This record gives sequence, structure tokens and C-alpha cells, in this order.
Amino acid sequence: MSPGQIEVEGQRIELEQGETVLQGLERAGLDVASGCRAGTCTKCLLQAQDAPPPASQRGLRPTLTAQNFFLACQARPTGLLRLRGSRGPEPVRARVASIDHLTEDVARLRLTPDERFDYRPGQYLDVLHPGGESRSYSIASLPSDGWLELHVRRIPGGQVSGWLHELAVDAELAVRGPFGQCFHVADDDQRKLLLVGAGTGLAPLVGIARDALEQGHRGPIDLVHGGLEPNRLYLRDDLDRLARESPQLRVHHCVLRGATAREHEGPLDQVAIRLAGALAGARAFLCGDGEIVHLLRRSLFLAGLPSGEILADPFLPSKPALA
Amino acid sequence: MSLYERLGGEPAFQSAVDEFYRRMLTDERVSRFFDDVDMEGQIAKQKAFLTYVTGGPAEYTGKDMRAAHAELNERGLSDEHVDVVIEHLGAVLLSMGAAPDDVGEVAALAESVRADVLGR
Ligand SMILES: Cc1cc2nc3c(=O)[nH]c(=O)nc-3n(C[C@H](O)[C@H](O)[C@H](O)COP(=O)(O)OP(=O)(O)OC[C@H]3O[C@@H](n4cnc5c(N)ncnc54)[C@H](O)[C@@H]3O)c2cc1C
Ligand code: FES
Repeated sequence: MSPGQIEVEGQRIELEQGETVLQGLERAGLDVASGCRAGTCTKCLLQAQDAPPPASQRGLRPTLTAQNFFLACQARPTGLLRLRGSRGPEPVRARVASIDHLTEDVARLRLTPDERFDYRPGQYLDVLHPGGESRSYSIASLPSDGWLELHVRRIPGGQVSGWLHELAVDAELAVRGPFGQCFHVADDDQRKLLLVGAGTGLAPLVGIARDALEQGHRGPIDLVHGGLEPNRLYLRDDLDRLARESPQLRVHHCVLRGATAREHEGPLDQVAIRLAGALAGARAFLCGDGEIVHLLRRSLFLAGLPSGEILADPFLPSKPALA
Repeated sequence: MSLYERLGGEPAFQSAVDEFYRRMLTDERVSRFFDDVDMEGQIAKQKAFLTYVTGGPAEYTGKDMRAAHAELNERGLSDEHVDVVIEHLGAVLLSMGAAPDDVGEVAALAESVRADVLGR
């Protein structure tokens, strides 16, 4: 087989016989990170615009594989492989199409971007505040909706969440993205999917659940939404309706205290594990507050879920809480 | 052929490292050193460690080892904790089908990094 070529930021590099992408880039004098050179350390991880050779994606998470990430030290392409540049996505202008205050502290914003904005439901974008700060928010919509839906919890004293809550219809703002590894990959349509999140951790989970359904997922999908008390669980009617329309989707509401007949009561991780049943072959998506995500990840892992099947997006604050 | 390859290489070690890490998290003699918020990072490090001690493709220098464990040393990491890790390492390798002789060799290699791990 004749060796391929790589293209990186406008530059073409012809590979020599047997040469890997890593070796080719190094020969061309480019600075690339590497470690083991044997496919284990993942230090040489790069992203391509085209599908990379399968051997260079062995052992990577399915979400990385789906985004054409690969190990440069394991890649011997035969055709042309164009690499993604190191520059991140450019900001895109968007307009507020609607804003609904769903509970006392959660608002649903729908934004229409001025330009094409590709993403996978469950990924997140950065909202750029006019003051120069930026904050991440997960995307609850599907590309076919035509808008970007965000669920924003107002943090007391929070700069960006407070500002977003005050925006009116037609207000303009800038967003950048997408980012993140928490989205559905249709590699096994019979697999059990377990989606667990607290508070606005629901946003990416709604996107992931709808995306899986739209892609024809047939295995059971359990979505567990947690909150402190029943009145904190927003969008529950929409979720219940979605579950009625989709036999494979079950929606569970879970609270720490004050449960009625419609909610489960108890720690979210324990309730989720009990509801999920057998975990063999399952994949979990965990989103929301950082501590809760850590707890969920740890508990599901100890309950037997492989670490590679746990996709998580902890909503970490952009600066540490004041002690 | 290295023990790493004989035991099935990367795919086998992907699940073995989960098993190893579960043992660390549930053994109360050592769990406090492993229960890190960055679970993915922890698992990646354990995988590199397992790969290294079984002769697989992983690089480790004494300097890396010292730097990686400096904070744990401050939190009281000591000989008996290293013993526990080596004990679990052996159990996981046996469960993967390693022979007792192999496990002895791996334990000897793990011994050789003890001083670096403990910052001595
Ligand atoms: C990957 C990712 C996805 C995210 N997705 C969402 C989402 O879908 N919806 C959403 O509402 N948020 C989400 N967040 C959180 C969001 O990015 C902001 O951190 C949050 O809105 C607070 O920003 P702020 O500017 O209002 O507050 P800041 O001005 O940054 O903070 C004000 C004060 O509140 C503290 N604080 C910040 N966050 C919290 C918190 N969660 N709980 C308690 N105190 C806090 C800060 O430490 C600071 O002291 C996500 C974060 C990440 C990293
Ligand atoms: S250099 Fe370690 S995986 Fe490529």
C-alpha cells in the first residue's frame, strides 16, 4: 500500500513508506506532543477532518472516535488525511428567539444563530458576555429544531447567568463552540442508556435522549432527573410527554426530600442505580453540578459500569467558590 | 513476548485497569489516596502503571514517579500502602490469567519504583 499524505494548516506533507502521522509531522519540523509512541498514553491525540485509519482509534472513547480524534503514533493513512488546526471555533452571533422562566431560578433560552452552528446535542457552547467573560452552557436542542436551547440556572451574584436571565427577545449575543464529549454515538442501538443529572444537568440529557430517539435507538433509555424538592424539577410535563410518545424512554423524577407519589426520594446515585437494573453493556451520561457528577460517576463505576462507558460533563464554576 | 502482550495487550488492560482501580477505591486502607475528583485522570495513570510493570509500551522515569506522588507523600503515603497496591496488582494479574511466576516478576519491578513513589 502506498503511503498517504497529511495536510496541516495549509501545508502538505508526503508520508514515507511505513511512516506514521507523528513521524511525518516531526520530520516536517512541527512540534507534536508524544509519549509512549505505542498507542497507550494518548499524548499524541489529534483531530482530523476526514475519518482516520481505524487502527489509530483503537481504545479511544466512542465520542472521540466519532469526532475523528486519533493517535498520531498509530496512524498510517493511505490517502489524504487533513488535520484540524489548533485554533478553536470562531464566535458566532445569535439572537434570543424566546426566553421562558421555568422555575424561580431556571430559564430556558432559545437562540437563533446568524450562521451555521454545527453541534451534537449534549455538547456545550460558550456564551461570551459583553464584559469579556465567558461561561459554558449545554445544548438541549437538536440541530433540526433550528434554535439553540439552553437551560440557565441563575446563580446568586452570578455575572453571566444573571445577565442571561435579564435578556429580552431579540437581544443579540455571541456564542462559541461546540465543545465537549458528552453526546450520543449510535454504535449499538440495543444498548441500555442511562442519563442522570441534577438541576440544569437536565439540559444536555434532554438533547442526548431526543438525539438517540431520532437516530432510531431501540434499547431502553432511562432518564433520571434529580432536584432538591419537587418544585425544583423543571420541564417535567415535557419529559413525561416525550416518554409517553417513546416506549423505550422512561423518565424518572428524583428528589432529596418531600417526594410525592410522582417522585422517587433518596440520593440520586442510589436511586439511579436501583432504577437502571443490570448495567452490563450500558452507557451512562452524567451531567450537572461537579460534586454530584463525581458522586454519580464513582457510584456507577463501583456498581460495575466500565469507566469507558461513563460520559460526564461536570458543570464546574469558572472560578472557585469563595470560602 | 512481554507479559503485557501475553495477557492480551491494550484491550485486556482496558478492563483490567477498571478492576484494579475499583479495588483501590473500595479498600479502605488506601482508598483515600485514590478517590480523586479527576477519576479519568486517575484511571489513565493506573493504566500507564499497569502497562509499565508488565513490560508494555509505557514510559516511566523516577522523576515522573516522584512528582506524581509528592502530594500523596504529604498526605501520609507509606510502605504499607505500597504493599496494598502490590497485593491488588498481583490479584488482578492472576485474574487475567497471569502465572504466579509472572506475578512475582511484576512485583519485583513494582518494588523497584518503591523508593521513587515514597520520595526516598
Ligand atoms: C461544561 C459546562 C457546562 C455547563 N452547562 C450549564 C448549563 O447547561 N446550565 C447552567 O445553568 N450552567 C451550566 N454551567 C455552569 C455555567 O458555565 C456557569 O458557571 C454558571 O452559570 C455561573 O456563571 P456566572 O457568571 O453566573 O457566575 P460567576 O460570576 O462565575 O460566579 C458567581 C459566584 O457563584 C459561584 N458559583 C458559580 N457556579 C456555581 C454553582 N453551580 N453553584 C454554586 N455557586 C456557584 C462562583 O464561585 C462565584 O463565587 C456549565 C459549566 C460547564 C463547565
Ligand atoms: S505517543 Fe502515546 S499514544 Fe501516541
